[in-house]
Amino acid sequence: MPGDSRRVPGPQESRSPHFYRKPEAHKNDGRRQDGRGPQDVRPVYLHAGVVSQATGSAYIEMGQTKVIAAVYGPREIAQREEFTMKGRLTCEVKFATFSCTKRRQHIQDSHEKDWSLIVLQALEPAVCLDRFPKSQVDVYITVLQNDGSALAAAITCASVGLADAGVMMYDVVAGCSMDQGTAEHGMVTVALLPSLNQVSALVLDGHLQQQTAVQAVKSCITGCHGLYPIIKDCLVTSTQRNIPTTGRQTGQPDANG
Amino acid sequence: GSKGSMASTLGVLSDAERLFIVHGVQDDLRSDGRACEDYRHMEVETDVVSNTSGSARLRLGNTDILVGVKAEMGEPDPGRPKEGKLEFFVDCSANASPEFEGRGGEELAIEVSNALQRIFSSRSTLDLTALCIIPAGQCWVLYVDVLVLECGGNLFDAVSLAVKAALFNTRIPTVLVTADDEGQQEIELSDDPYDVKRLDVENVPLIVTLSKIGHRHVVDASWEEELCSLARLTVGVTQKGTIAGLNKEGSGSLDPESIYEMVQVCLFVCLFM
Repeated sequence: MPGDSRRVPGPQESRSPHFYRKPEAHKNDGRRQDGRGPQDVRPVYLHAGVVSQATGSAYIEMGQTKVIAAVYGPREIAQREEFTMKGRLTCEVKFATFSCTKRRQHIQDSHEKDWSLIVLQALEPAVCLDRFPKSQVDVYITVLQNDGSALAAAITCASVGLADAGVMMYDVVAGCSMDQGTAEHGMVTVALLPSLNQVSALVLDGHLQQQTAVQAVKSCITGCHGLYPIIKDCLVTSTQRNIPTTGRQTGQPDANG
Repeated sequence: GSKGSMASTLGVLSDAERLFIVHGVQDDLRSDGRACEDYRHMEVETDVVSNTSGSARLRLGNTDILVGVKAEMGEPDPGRPKEGKLEFFVDCSANASPEFEGRGGEELAIEVSNALQRIFSSRSTLDLTALCIIPAGQCWVLYVDVLVLECGGNLFDAVSLAVKAALFNTRIPTVLVTADDEGQQEIELSDDPYDVKRLDVENVPLIVTLSKIGHRHVVDASWEEELCSLARLTVGVTQKGTIAGLNKEGSGSLDPESIYEMVQVCLFVCLFM
C-alpha cells in the first residue's frame, strides 16, 4: 500500500468510536429523525460560480449534505490518439476524507468510481457533445459533508456547474433520492431532465418489492420536478451577477453588445 | 474518474447494420431469429476448477464466464463480528477481446464488480452468519473471482448466473473450535474431505439486463445489439420477485413510462430463468 508522503502516518490500526455506539432506535410514527414526513424534501441552497479558477462551478447544500462541483473545459483531449467527432465528458466524484462518519481513504475507492460512472451517465444525455469535437469537459465533484442523498446532490450540483461553465446543454439535470421500505430496505436515486421528462440515471441500492420501487421512482421524479425552479433561479441570479454593472464613460456600445 | 461507455470498447458497427438491427427489433425479430424477450442458449457446468472451493463455467451465446470461489480464513469486519465476508474481483482477460489488453478491460471490470456488490449488498441475499467461526475472531472470507473468457454481449446477466452457480457449488470445510489448556481457542479442520458445509443460495438474485433499442427493449443483447442501444437497465431480481438493485447504464436517457414497463418485463423474464 503506497504511503502518502504528505501525511504523518497515524497508528496502523485505528477505529472510529462509532463502532461502540449502541444502534439508535427507529421511531415508528412515520416521521424521520429530523421530524420530516416521508415525502418532505430538505431545504436546498444552490450557488453557482464559487470556484474562481474553474470555467464553471456550483455548490449545493441539501440539509446537511454539502457538495461542490468544478467544471473545466472544453479543453484539448488528454490523449491525442483518441480522435472523436463527439466531445468527451469525464467525471470524477470524490468524498473528502472527513465527509462521512467513518474516515475515508484519500485514494478513490470502488464506491466513488461507481458514483463517478453514474454521474457521468446522468449528465451525458443533457450535454450537446457534438458541439465540441476533439475536446473534453472535465467535471470534478467533491462531497464535503455526507448526510444522505449525496449522489442526488452531486448530480444536481454537476449540472449547475456545467451550465455555469457555458457548456451547451439540452436541459439541466435534477437529482432526487428516496429511502424506502420497512421490512426490506432500499434507496432509490433518480436523475431527471425536467423539461424533456427523461430519466438519465436510476439507481436502487437494496431490496424492494416491485410496487414499492415503482412508487419510489415516481416520488423521486416529482421531487426532481420540484427542484427545477430552484436550479433555474440559481442560474438566473448568477448570470445577473456576472453582467458588468459599471457605466461606460465614452458612451459607445460595448464590443460584446 | 470515469471516461466512457461500455459500448465504445467493443468495436464499431456500420450505419447499415445498425439500421437493420433497429428495424428488426421493431418487428420483434432479432438477427438470430429470437424474439425480444428470448435468451440465447445457455450452458452451465460446475466444479470445473479443482483448486477452488467452488467453481462454475457459464456459456451464454458467445459470452463465456469462469468463476472460482476460494474460501479462506480471516478476520471479520469490526462492525460485524458475527458475519463472514464476500469479496468480488472481476478480470476481463485479454483473451476476451483485443481492447482488453493491458488496462483496457479495467473499466468494464469495475462496472461488473460494482453491479455484483450492489445486488449482494443486502443482508437477506446470503446468510453471512453461517460463515462465522469465532465471533470477532475468525470467519470465512469467500473470494469470488470472475474471469471473462469471451465477451459476446450481456455480460452482467452471465456473470450473475455464473456467480450464483459457483456459490451453489462452494464447499466449506467444517471446522472444530476447541479450547486448549491455556484457554486459547484452537481451530481444527475436519479430516474427512466430504465433511463440508454448503451455502444456501436460494435468495441470491440474478441480473436481467434490458437494452433499449429504438422504441423497444430487448433481453440478452448480443454485442452488436449492445452497440445499437444507448441505454440499458440492469435489474437484480430474486426468486421471490423482489427487486434487488437497479441501475440505468449508458449515455442515453429513458422515458419514465418505459422504465416501469421494463421493470415489469424483467420480473416476468426472471421467473422463467
